[in-house]
Amino acid sequence: MESEAAGAPASGEVVNSIRERTISENSLVVLLQGLQGRVTTVDLRDESTAQGRVLSVDAFMNVRLKDVLYQDRRGRRRQLQDLFITGRNVRYVHIPDDVDMMKTIQNQLDKIHRVRSFGSEGRKEFSKKSN
Amino acid sequence: MVVLKSLHPPTEGVRHQQADTTAELDGLKLGCGTLCVAETRLLWFDDSRKGFSLEYPSIGLHAISRDVCSYPQEHLYVMVNGKVGDENETEMGAADDDDDSSKEDDDEDGAITEIRFVPSDKTALESMFSAMCECQALHPDPEDDESDNDFEGEEYDVEEAEAEHGHADIPTFYTCDEGLSALTQEGQATLERLEGMLAQSVAQQYHMAGVRTEETKAEFDDGMEVDAAAMEAGQFEDADVDH
Repeated sequence: MESEAAGAPASGEVVNSIRERTISENSLVVLLQGLQGRVTTVDLRDESTAQGRVLSVDAFMNVRLKDVLYQDRRGRRRQLQDLFITGRNVRYVHIPDDVDMMKTIQNQLDKIHRVRSFGSEGRKEFSKKSN
Repeated sequence: MVVLKSLHPPTEGVRHQQADTTAELDGLKLGCGTLCVAETRLLWFDDSRKGFSLEYPSIGLHAISRDVCSYPQEHLYVMVNGKVGDENETEMGAADDDDDSSKEDDDEDGAITEIRFVPSDKTALESMFSAMCECQALHPDPEDDESDNDFEGEEYDVEEAEAEHGHADIPTFYTCDEGLSALTQEGQATLERLEGMLAQSVAQQYHMAGVRTEETKAEFDDGMEVDAAAMEAGQFEDADVDH
């Protein structure tokens, strides 16, 4: 069911598109990507809000949420099972209070760097092999 | 008043098609038809091929609603920036100047259209939703801050170059002369650089002993995740380190 283009299965893995990784690495969207799995609220441009669990955020700030309480701009509430918000329509993403932002950013960047350099000669488990 | 147009549904790039789907525009039921989720645009049309099409950049959000308290049928909810089926629209789905500016005006006004697609087969909702997610991601907002996309060739890759030349992010691998000739000048330079690094790293492997240098290799993931210790703590920027 996960879309391939969003690219992110449940556990906060890094997207397989070089372009998206580069965009993420160079912008604060990487912080939002670290919120995967967390419940949070997204405020939209039209002043509606969506509160739900973050499934994924891509480099273009498209946000996928699950089990959402959506309140439209007139205040009417409804539940949505799955919600995809186009990046352009996002005004704010609330960061939960208990999230350590610097750590989250660092973790995401580490993941990106790991994906990039995986396969280099320096794999720890093999670094001591003698030839 | 909603004006429906005669449509010619695309034959290529159709990610999902759902027949027996009613459409409702801002509460106005349009009857039963077919939803077509194509890479270029989203269409709905009835048996006489009359319907409407949506451009992905105009779609603000889409969702699966199973909340029968707020709406009695399970459906795919789509919120569009601007007014759909406006009698002021001239061309069918094509972007001419008038169309764009009228859509932009609507956008500035904050006018939206709420659309509900109600398939008779409720189990199809997830596929419909996923197909829309995929297609939406193919149309990132061009007004976004483009400076983030200037990655100065740090992670330049032959596959990426190939993808940007119209193969829409499908990775391609070349292993023969055909591939070498497909390289741009920059790609060729990158290839030579990588080969040089490979040659260097072989010589260096006996000096590693726990110290890792970052080298660029072809991207792959066989699931063998390395220990999570940060390679170079605090190094955010690419600088001169090759990834």
